[in-house]
Amino acid sequence: MRPFDYTAAQSVSQALAGGGAGTAYLAGGTTLVDLMKLEVMTPRQVVDINRLPLRGVSADRDGLHVGALERMSDVAGHPLVTGGYPVLAQALLRSASPQLRNMASIGGNLLQRVRCGYFRDTSTGCNKRRPGSGCPAVDGENRGHAILGTSDSCVATHPSDLAVALVALDARVRLVGRGGTRDVRLADFYLLPGDTPEREHDLRPGELVTRVTVPALAWATRSAYLKIRDRQSYEFALASAAVALDLRGGVVRDVRVAVGGVGTRPWRLPAVEEALRGRAARPEVFEAAAALAVEAARPLTHNGFKTTLLRRTIVRALTNLVG
Amino acid sequence: MSGAARTVSVNRVDGRLKVTGAARYAADQPVERLAHGYLLLSTIARGTVRAMDVTAAESSPGVLAVYTPFRSLALLGSGTPFSVGHSWLPLQDAEVRYHGQAIGLVVAETFEQARDAAALVRADYEVRPAAVSFTDGIPTATDPGPFMGEPARLEFLADGVGSIDEALAASEVTVAGTYQQPGKHHSAMEPHACVAAWQDGALTLYTGTQSASLTVGTMAAALGVEAAKIRVVSPHVGGGFGNKIATWAHPLLAAAAARTLGRPVKVVLTREQTFTITGNRSAVRQTVRLGARRDGTLVAVKHQVWASQSASGGIFESSAHTTSRYLYRTENLHLDQKIVTLDVSPPTWMRAPGQESGSFALETALDELAAELRLDPVELRLRNDATVYPGRNVPWSSKHLAECYRVGAQRFGWARRNPAPGAVLRGEWLVGMGMATANYPGERFPASVNVRFRPDGDVSVSSATADLGTGMWTVLAVLGAEALGLPVARIRSDLGDSTLAANLGAFGSGATASTGPAVAVAAEAAITALITLAVTDERSPLHEVPAADVRYDRGELVTSDRRIGFPELLRTVSSPGVEATGTAGPGPEHGQHAFTSFGAHFCEVRVNRWTGEPRLSRMTTVVDGGAIINAKTARSQIVGGVIFGIGQALLEGATVEPQTGRIANGNFADYLLPVNADIPPIDVHFLDHPDLLFNPLGARGIGELGTVGVAAAIGNAVYNATGRRIRDLPITLDKLLD
Repeated sequence: MRPFDYTAAQSVSQALAGGGAGTAYLAGGTTLVDLMKLEVMTPRQVVDINRLPLRGVSADRDGLHVGALERMSDVAGHPLVTGGYPVLAQALLRSASPQLRNMASIGGNLLQRVRCGYFRDTSTGCNKRRPGSGCPAVDGENRGHAILGTSDSCVATHPSDLAVALVALDARVRLVGRGGTRDVRLADFYLLPGDTPEREHDLRPGELVTRVTVPALAWATRSAYLKIRDRQSYEFALASAAVALDLRGGVVRDVRVAVGGVGTRPWRLPAVEEALRGRAARPEVFEAAAALAVEAARPLTHNGFKTTLLRRTIVRALTNLVG
Repeated sequence: MSGAARTVSVNRVDGRLKVTGAARYAADQPVERLAHGYLLLSTIARGTVRAMDVTAAESSPGVLAVYTPFRSLALLGSGTPFSVGHSWLPLQDAEVRYHGQAIGLVVAETFEQARDAAALVRADYEVRPAAVSFTDGIPTATDPGPFMGEPARLEFLADGVGSIDEALAASEVTVAGTYQQPGKHHSAMEPHACVAAWQDGALTLYTGTQSASLTVGTMAAALGVEAAKIRVVSPHVGGGFGNKIATWAHPLLAAAAARTLGRPVKVVLTREQTFTITGNRSAVRQTVRLGARRDGTLVAVKHQVWASQSASGGIFESSAHTTSRYLYRTENLHLDQKIVTLDVSPPTWMRAPGQESGSFALETALDELAAELRLDPVELRLRNDATVYPGRNVPWSSKHLAECYRVGAQRFGWARRNPAPGAVLRGEWLVGMGMATANYPGERFPASVNVRFRPDGDVSVSSATADLGTGMWTVLAVLGAEALGLPVARIRSDLGDSTLAANLGAFGSGATASTGPAVAVAAEAAITALITLAVTDERSPLHEVPAADVRYDRGELVTSDRRIGFPELLRTVSSPGVEATGTAGPGPEHGQHAFTSFGAHFCEVRVNRWTGEPRLSRMTTVVDGGAIINAKTARSQIVGGVIFGIGQALLEGATVEPQTGRIANGNFADYLLPVNADIPPIDVHFLDHPDLLFNPLGARGIGELGTVGVAAAIGNAVYNATGRRIRDLPITLDKLLD
């Protein structure tokens, strides 16, 4: 770990004043500190934001608001979340381990870095870590890598479960910088790797994520997060699906489908949703719709199974939700 | 002591230390003026280090020294056998033999300073082509030469049979399969660590080791110091599984650096470093061909093995010689072991070395034969149960495998199994049942124990053995209490120190079987010494009583008219204590029998019909391990072994990149071990058949047995659930998707 200067900000404006290139904001530290130990990240300044008043879970006419410094475990157990948005609670509870969920913040979860083994090993190339140094994952070990949204520069999977659920629910993030405050749809916040995989999201230097807002969606009470992985806990998804169903008389009136473990960013599937809307909630309908999910898939050497797995994950999630 | 050991069920005597964090492992030892070392690892698979730029590292804050092949630490020979885990000593030349080999050591005031400085070192290599792919290396496989006292190619044929292939061709029914599994890593919870401290030319080495005494010998040879000047301390070991027997680069370099710097040096491997600095289990490919009569009688078994080996040496996986060699009766047997030598880090012993992989192939093949014959897998095994050790014509000292099958089937509810594959669907889960046999040899070596009566009323029972979480602290206390007729609370066990009574340590599932009998011998000798003191010391109330008239009874010396407790006696005569050392070991009569622990696993597996993930729902394991000393820690051993097998079956495997020789998943995020959520209820049952021909306790080993056969039982259950026979481990969901 490189030596660094540490300061604890007492207010948002103080944090913003200390932000910028070469500075990392420290919340739960569950990603940042790991990556600093590995020298994948070598900030010169670390600004601790844990004392900022970015807390609270509340609901109003606009929907559900979650402060960026809320801990994952607290949000997962909050009655507004468990009651109104089961998909969020489940996505949180299937993430990481209890110890990590007790530390990790919501904002940090959304900004967590990829789990690609090449990104985390400084003895190898990685375009995300060191632009221009190549992507060994394209021809290397890529069983866990993405099949959607990849480029020749980067095939790393976006790791957050929570982000998948939030994208399904059309959530927005509030970004605060020295230049002002803006709200961005989470689906637009994340960037495709393209030729610049080092740019992962639309967060400008020095900006802070201060809160997440989930628009009110009454039928999100019928929602779920299905996460498929090799072991039953403490592992990132091979494929996951965040689904919500507005079901009336056996017909899909409306639906949300976003998937994880397969894309370079949390992957909303509007074509799948469209194929389901107005149709009977039956297995063959689900299967036909799920097939659309993988039309643009670009499998790699070791992750070809994800096209089948993703279709099945969507079908299983929808089937379970119909009950 | 006469008769077998009595089974008790007591808590670990070191349990409170461990759950409160008070137990001091190697890295926890408080040592003054400690400096911290961090290893530098090669990032190519084969070649030569041309130069290393250490300028920036040396001027980095807190750095005391940077050692490289060009600024080396002197090390001499390694001493053999059982010494260094690879065939060379670190930093003594500039050769790179595999990716992740030690090529330097940075020593600094703090761990973080050392690690940060290490990142500043630049190595310049001359790269040479490396052979790292096990699959590509199969055609280059060679005969390793004799091992375990037998040739690598071993064959028994019935009279008039020309070859094993002839016997197979003449069989009424045959099955054949090729079984593969990747290399694996021990992944003990405690990473390898050491603290080396010199004083007046003598070394104290705190390190997690399965054998303090072997470590002394290795360190003495490497450092050029007489063994008497080296003390190895290892009171608690956070898991060994065979990977803490050999000595690896870190204690060698730490001790050499500490000697040069004149300061104690600690080196703790990062989790990532443990993957290549320490040992692993070979990758294995096996082919098993079985020939049988229609009634299920085996007539021919052909078991061929290819195991990865390192060009740097190590121990390869001997899959056939440890399983098919004796597990079933057959007229014709052919075993053939080959090794594939690669530029990879060296394999070493890993829990059930040989049996772990061999049982997967053999016990899966048996299941395939049972399916072919439409015979119950338990019945097939019962029909082929071996009663004498094939080719040696010696009987087993005690073998109750058939009872394991029967009791296990009963406890598990095997009769409810639907033999038709893919026939049981519960909700969205396909459900199947499978079973397999477990075997592990009874191993015993000479061991000594010291028993000391203390004036404070306690008795110490000590030996230079090790407790890897296995329960040896408790076993010493239980056996000491039993031998002396005292409560367990009055026994103070001590172990994990090379200065204690001689003991090779803990491996081969032989620690209890070897050390246990010596407790009784030592107790007997200590009682004799106590009586001698009582009748010879003028201050003793029993002075000049004939020794033959004094008997020991539960902590007291008793004559016809007097009774005195040993604490009172010792205080009366101002004795600091009375002690004796006893030794026990296998006698020449040991060759007249075969000694093996057996067991049977039964399991139920669910496979999701949509997404294919296999999940265990329950397991039953029945163990024929002889007498059980402490039921509580014994059960833990079996459960731990079974979980080891669950990892083998469903999750574990090193991914070696064919382009680079780098282990792509050498960390705990990517090298998947089972977590609690993966482990179903495990029902463990011990048969109670003391093996008194093996040792006076009647106890054989159980540390490794639990692992053997688990992968096959699970794979067989997956077949029963889905109709899919997965012969490549681990059985992951991608192999079960359509």
